[in-house]
Amino acid sequence: MGQKKARDREFIESMYSMIPLVFILVACVELCDAATVVDVYRLIQYDISGAQFGSRLATLNHHAASLHFPPGSDLSRTVLIIPVREFNFTFIKEYIERKQPLGGLLFLLPQMLSSYAKHQKERINTVLVELERLLIHANIPYPVYFAFEDDDIDAVLADIKRSDASGQPATATTGGFKLVVSAPEPKKVASPTVSNIQGWLPGQKADGEANQLPTIAIVASYDTFGAAPALSVGSDSNGSGVVALLEIARLFSILYSNTKTRGRYNLLFGLTSGGPYNYNGTHKWLRSFDQRLRESIDYAICLNSIGSGDNKLYIHVSKPPENAYIRQIFDGLSNVAEVLGLEVGLKHKKINISNPRVAWEHEQFSRLRVTAATLSKLSVAPELLDSAGGLYDNRHFVHETAIIRGVKLVAESIARHIYGQQGKNIEIFADDSSLAVNPSYIRSWLDLLSRTPRVAPFLSKNDPFIMALKKELADLTDEVNVQHEVLDGIFTFYESTKARLNIYQVASVTFDLLLLLVLGSYLIVLFSFLVITTRGLDDLISLFRRPPSRKVKTA
Amino acid sequence: MTIFHFFNCAILTFGPHAVYYSATPLSEYDTLGTSVKAALVYLGTALVKLVCLATFLKVSEGDIFDPYQELLKALIGFIDVAGLYFALTQLTHRNISQNHKFQAVGLGWAFADSVLHRLAPLWVGARGLEFTWDYILQGLEANANLVLSISLAALGSLMWLRKNKPKTLIPIIYLCAGIVATMPSITSYLRRGLGWHLPKVVCFELFTSLVMAFISWQLFSASQRPSA
Repeated sequence: MGQKKARDREFIESMYSMIPLVFILVACVELCDAATVVDVYRLIQYDISGAQFGSRLATLNHHAASLHFPPGSDLSRTVLIIPVREFNFTFIKEYIERKQPLGGLLFLLPQMLSSYAKHQKERINTVLVELERLLIHANIPYPVYFAFEDDDIDAVLADIKRSDASGQPATATTGGFKLVVSAPEPKKVASPTVSNIQGWLPGQKADGEANQLPTIAIVASYDTFGAAPALSVGSDSNGSGVVALLEIARLFSILYSNTKTRGRYNLLFGLTSGGPYNYNGTHKWLRSFDQRLRESIDYAICLNSIGSGDNKLYIHVSKPPENAYIRQIFDGLSNVAEVLGLEVGLKHKKINISNPRVAWEHEQFSRLRVTAATLSKLSVAPELLDSAGGLYDNRHFVHETAIIRGVKLVAESIARHIYGQQGKNIEIFADDSSLAVNPSYIRSWLDLLSRTPRVAPFLSKNDPFIMALKKELADLTDEVNVQHEVLDGIFTFYESTKARLNIYQVASVTFDLLLLLVLGSYLIVLFSFLVITTRGLDDLISLFRRPPSRKVKTA
Repeated sequence: MTIFHFFNCAILTFGPHAVYYSATPLSEYDTLGTSVKAALVYLGTALVKLVCLATFLKVSEGDIFDPYQELLKALIGFIDVAGLYFALTQLTHRNISQNHKFQAVGLGWAFADSVLHRLAPLWVGARGLEFTWDYILQGLEANANLVLSISLAALGSLMWLRKNKPKTLIPIIYLCAGIVATMPSITSYLRRGLGWHLPKVVCFELFTSLVMAFISWQLFSASQRPSA
């Protein structure tokens, strides 16, 4: 019996040790019951040959404040929520340039740009351009996120503004909010690849002709770069160029499918990557060419940002305008432009071989002594990482009509060149003909591009988007190749471009202390009440006396 | 400060039970065994109730108040009364007076209810970063429940244990016991049928529990007078 009892006790004791274990297990269960969960997009983090740029942190766990914070308060442990609509650029600029401590930044982008008036849109646009330029070229030691405004986050922001305006510290009742993003430390992207896709439409060789046919190349770089990699869709830079290239390929594939209309030129279509990084992908792509192929290229036309702006386009070249080949390209284009009511300007910019900066895609061709020109709405060469498809560059600022005009301009001038109709006023791709430009094709591709972020280091080799481009070119041309190369070494990128932000309403410590005080007094009152009603007041008083007095009483 | 908040809510939820035990003569007469047994009976009753609910009730979609289902739920709720009857009449732990027995049973009953229904949500919810008033209100609800359980136990002991009670009081006792036993259904009706918010419901519960406690106390002392 005694033995059994001892065994029982042992068993029970072992059970007792299990209890804390169970509690620890329960405590480990990660809790996620926030008031609001928002998708947020992190500011890009990258290095250029060791120099650090962008936001250097990903994890966030701080209280929220609005721009109306009480002056002189310490912001090193607060996240500022700033809607881009009511933006104070000088303040932000000062904060970032002086490297003042801050817990973090959360920019709220307007959700529905189309609902704004035109001047408002333009204001937001300019603000975003400035903001992006500032953020990309700064080294920011705290996390910076972008989010889209919605009802939930607007309600939170209104609450924060109210408590900020009243100048009170945040409590449970006046609305203290904690913003939490739990993300691992951003890792380097192991070896960023650039994938170039090329399509080949062979021309018709005359019988017994031994020489290789000349080639015309049409090139557009498809990748983007922006402050938030998960948001940089680059509808204009260079989505418009990609769309135009696909449409031109479609038009010529119709012409080349018939042996009667197949021209005596090969057509080479190139969708290149690495555009924002000195056209690194174009460089690799050209280097991979056979010497004979490279020499056979008559000229190359690069398409860059042609989807917006007014009736003016620029042809950027690196050889002097007096050059016969350049003359020929320019005349071809300007002849067609006249008919279309477009204005075409020629811009000449010399290449400095010692300067690593390649501002235009055609410069990569020119460096290899291939005649090339870039067609763009931009009049001056952009700086490194500028105008590469940032936050502002979205579907709202791109017009299909501009792209259609661009397509007509390029396709018509190439067709006239191929079929020897230079200077003659004929229209090959006339509207309402079987060779008309297809606006719905352009629209659907433009919509797809405007939804797909395409920052090259974050696009894998087999990304659905690259596969889609490859499939489309395969349908339009006879031969398609995808070339994967490693992006050149001076750029290093860091992962975690997207995260989920939890917004918690939290109580302050003072509130908890106060609550404890109230509860304690409640229990004491309850105790006294119960003792008095069941045993009488004397018993209550005797509880606080010393033990001897109790002994006297029992005796 | 979330652990702090958890402790606060736990104190509010389970503190009154401990205070009740230590402040009243229950602790002097060592009635813990009776309370524990009552808690075990509660556990059994809860199991039976769960089985019944799972057998007879449809899974409700959303928070819609369906009178037929609610009636069934209220009927199943009366299993509680049966359990309490068992705890009051069949349990003979030690020779303790009726006076203390119903208190001990009610206390054990309410404590078991709090542990089963409130400890897990409290542990999971109150430790989160997010602050809500829910857990504080839930603690207040536990207090109301304690009062109601003891009242019900008192009325039950009047009904089943005391033989020489005044005849005029019998219908009132049964009526009160009925009201107290249907309290869960009433609150559920208020919450879902009328769409009351939690603070309002908890206020109502606190108020009714105090009223019912007062009435049961009056009834108890009234039926005690002739015997005394």
